[in-house]
Amino acid sequence: MSNQVTLSINNQSVTVPAGSTIMDAAQKAGVSVPHFCWHPGLSIAGVCRFCMVKVEGMPKLQIACNTPASEGMKVDTVSDEVKETHKWALEFHLINHPLDCPICDQAGECELQNYYMKVGKYQSQMEDQKVLKPKALDVGDTLVLDTERCILCSRCVRFEDEVTKTSTLGIFNRGDQATIGTYPDRKIKHNYSYNLADICPVGAFTAKDFRFKCRVWFLKETKTVCPGCSTGCNVNLFQNSNQREYYRLKPRHNADVNGHWMCDTGRTMYEHLNASARLASPLLSGQSISSAAALQAVADAVKGLSADKVALVLTAQYTNEEYAGVLSSLKTVLKGTPKVFVWRDESEKADDFDGILFRGDRNPNTRGMMDVLKEHAIQPTMLKGDFSALAGTSPEVTVVMGPEIEAGYPNLQKALSRFSEMKKAVYFGNSLTDAAKKFWLRVPVKTFAEKSGTFVNFNGVAQKLKANPPVFTNVKAVDEYFAEVGKLAHTAG
Amino acid sequence: MPVMNSAYNGRQPNEFKVLTELEGIPNSRSLEVYKKHGGYAALEKILKGKMSQEEVINIVKASGLRGRGGAGFPTGMKWGFVPKGEGEKYLITNFDEGEPGTYKDRYIAELNAHMLIEGKLIAAYAIGASKSYIYLRGEFYDEIAWCEQAIKEAYAAGYLGDNVMGTGFKHHMDVYIGAGAYICGEETGLISSLEGKKGQPKLKPPFPAVKGYLGKPTIVNNVETLAVVPWIIRNGAEAYKKFGTEKSAGTKLFNISGPVVRPGCYELPLGYPLKRFIYEDCGGLIGGKKLKAVIPGGASAPVLTAAEVETMTMDYEAFAAAGSMLGSGAVIVIPEDVSMVEVLENLMHFFKDESCGQCTPCREGTGWLLKMSRGILQGEGQPGDEKKIAEVAGKMMGRTICTFSDAAAGPARSIPQKFAHEFLEYYKKKSSAHGQG
Repeated sequence: MSNQVTLSINNQSVTVPAGSTIMDAAQKAGVSVPHFCWHPGLSIAGVCRFCMVKVEGMPKLQIACNTPASEGMKVDTVSDEVKETHKWALEFHLINHPLDCPICDQAGECELQNYYMKVGKYQSQMEDQKVLKPKALDVGDTLVLDTERCILCSRCVRFEDEVTKTSTLGIFNRGDQATIGTYPDRKIKHNYSYNLADICPVGAFTAKDFRFKCRVWFLKETKTVCPGCSTGCNVNLFQNSNQREYYRLKPRHNADVNGHWMCDTGRTMYEHLNASARLASPLLSGQSISSAAALQAVADAVKGLSADKVALVLTAQYTNEEYAGVLSSLKTVLKGTPKVFVWRDESEKADDFDGILFRGDRNPNTRGMMDVLKEHAIQPTMLKGDFSALAGTSPEVTVVMGPEIEAGYPNLQKALSRFSEMKKAVYFGNSLTDAAKKFWLRVPVKTFAEKSGTFVNFNGVAQKLKANPPVFTNVKAVDEYFAEVGKLAHTAG
Repeated sequence: MPVMNSAYNGRQPNEFKVLTELEGIPNSRSLEVYKKHGGYAALEKILKGKMSQEEVINIVKASGLRGRGGAGFPTGMKWGFVPKGEGEKYLITNFDEGEPGTYKDRYIAELNAHMLIEGKLIAAYAIGASKSYIYLRGEFYDEIAWCEQAIKEAYAAGYLGDNVMGTGFKHHMDVYIGAGAYICGEETGLISSLEGKKGQPKLKPPFPAVKGYLGKPTIVNNVETLAVVPWIIRNGAEAYKKFGTEKSAGTKLFNISGPVVRPGCYELPLGYPLKRFIYEDCGGLIGGKKLKAVIPGGASAPVLTAAEVETMTMDYEAFAAAGSMLGSGAVIVIPEDVSMVEVLENLMHFFKDESCGQCTPCREGTGWLLKMSRGILQGEGQPGDEKKIAEVAGKMMGRTICTFSDAAAGPARSIPQKFAHEFLEYYKKKSSAHGQG
């Protein structure tokens, strides 16, 4: 028995594993079959009745999402009969929909709108009073629910049942009074809630964090990797292409890493990217200076020191390329390897895992960093709550590559205070915290959104970041700075 | 045109007694009376005669018995779908009798619930189920009590339990009370409800015979279907086939409602002339009113005009040929002075209330059909609205998980098509004397 079946969709042949549905086959063949309730990451509901296709030999149209693909099957998705059915399916979905697109935050990325343009374009025959349902419901800290816009596809219910297993949502009442909602006294509170806004094909669930901030057609997306933890979920990062303002992250499907989802913690990874949240220019003893002057100060400080008098404190939030670049430059300047420390927050439980995606190691590149250190034959010293090892080496210069994501370092202030007490403490990072102000020299760096480079996730998967133009043009990546320092030290020497 | 079985000429309905044998007998509900009339003899014949499951299924297949709940699927064939061999299997009786106009199943329980229990035991034996349920409509207080009483008696008499009649056959039975949703009469909706979930039909495949209640092979049969099985086993498939037509074997309970002189539950052979039933058996319409239309098989069945009734026979194929259906056998008689627009609005109200809301065309369509028909009734309609109703109904057909949407579409298409002129009256009046608030 073969475990593959070959069928034809619109006369195009496609081979899929036995047990696949017509929808799976259509996806593989690149044939778009309109759908609302079907979602590749959830079980099959078969309720929207939108994905109907003609199967030769079957008297009635069949739903693509639940009809098994079989050998020699002939499927049609474009005949007049099928098109007419899609139009009517859309009409039924829309007769009680409020059509409040001008004030709906989903506009622009609404499947009702998209499908109307794709397979609809009919004149509605609905002239009667629409069914009215509760609006603007507060269903948790992150989401707002408009049950009138809901098309009852049940994606959110299935997500709650199958992915987070929190089962907060249900469809209550029946017929055209059927309404989506939370069970009495229940709120949506888990770390994956924004996925509900993503999978909602309409404007029923909207994200409090994003709604009414920016129309989606002003946004441009960058395919990159979430820096929020060691899972490294694949994401699209959305930026207003005119104002350079970052607004949100959404998951990007990667079966090997994050599937279809990402956590709410990861969703906040845009906040520190915008200008108001970060250090704009270098500060020497609190005085703003140029980048060139800052790098000259570093070069002067390390010049002539023996390697063991320079301490390099790393956090695992930089790319492989940055670690390699910094180490190479310093080795050249110092004619030896500096003392390398790895700073972990004292509260960290790196092996924690929530069972879905989120990991206790809040650094995106622990594995990559350790790999690079190994390549350079460096055995780093761990700094976790106890900083005596650093003080014990009495360095003349201490260079700290601070964490970009400070949320992963709840004891950041305490640690920074200790580091800043060191002689000639230099801080690379964008921190605006009080403790950071105590450093002798502070130099802003590029964020994950502004650099291309590699993160290696907990599982050893190496993934590339994609660089957007930097928010501050004077700001560079830490390896670029050290290349500069290398040149300056060389010139001076 | 279907030809009536000539054997019915000159015979009265009381000569066709299969299910209604105990009618009029004092204390008919007791186990004693039931046994006196051959009760549990069929079960004994099977168990003590060591008949194979296959033999039982073959007798039922040979009898031509079709599901009496509405769909008319051949019963023996349905039983045959259950995978053979070991493993948990379930038999469920659909006693969620909710089709408007239907009151035949409760009549069986009123006569004697042991008919159902014996039929269930035989079916359970045939499919290899050691557990069965009677899913009862919550409003049927008396019937619940009668079924529970009969189950108790059957346990006491050794017909139910770990060792039925000392033969080693094990079967347990329970009553489960529904909450009055029409859709729980749909077999997969019923299974969902029995599982403790919201009563909504399930996506097929998988089919219940393979993966039903709690994911196990499950057969759902109507009360009337199961209750007639003991008679068939006792008297043989041939005896049963003497009633009815070639494709519609046996007798069937018909419930007639509307202004007829003698409404009630009648047992008739299938293929019986509808006109004769209304005018002779039921005494015609009260006050000699003229017949306008008949809904022949419960609310879901498309309406027949008085002209169509003239030659109609009451069997699966004749109703189907006329674009309607035998359904549950609930004959609803509509006299000349009832407005078909009111009938439509009434039916649409029912379907709008009872749609489970799962599939979009049904959820949205049933509500829309009600709004449109109510609008016409209230004098807000305009020419063409009746066509729009029929068109929308047409787009609801064959596109949903279960056939509820098709059922709602049945009258919504047939009434505007067959009685278009009555709609015109409403458009002219603009404000109708029949209007409801």
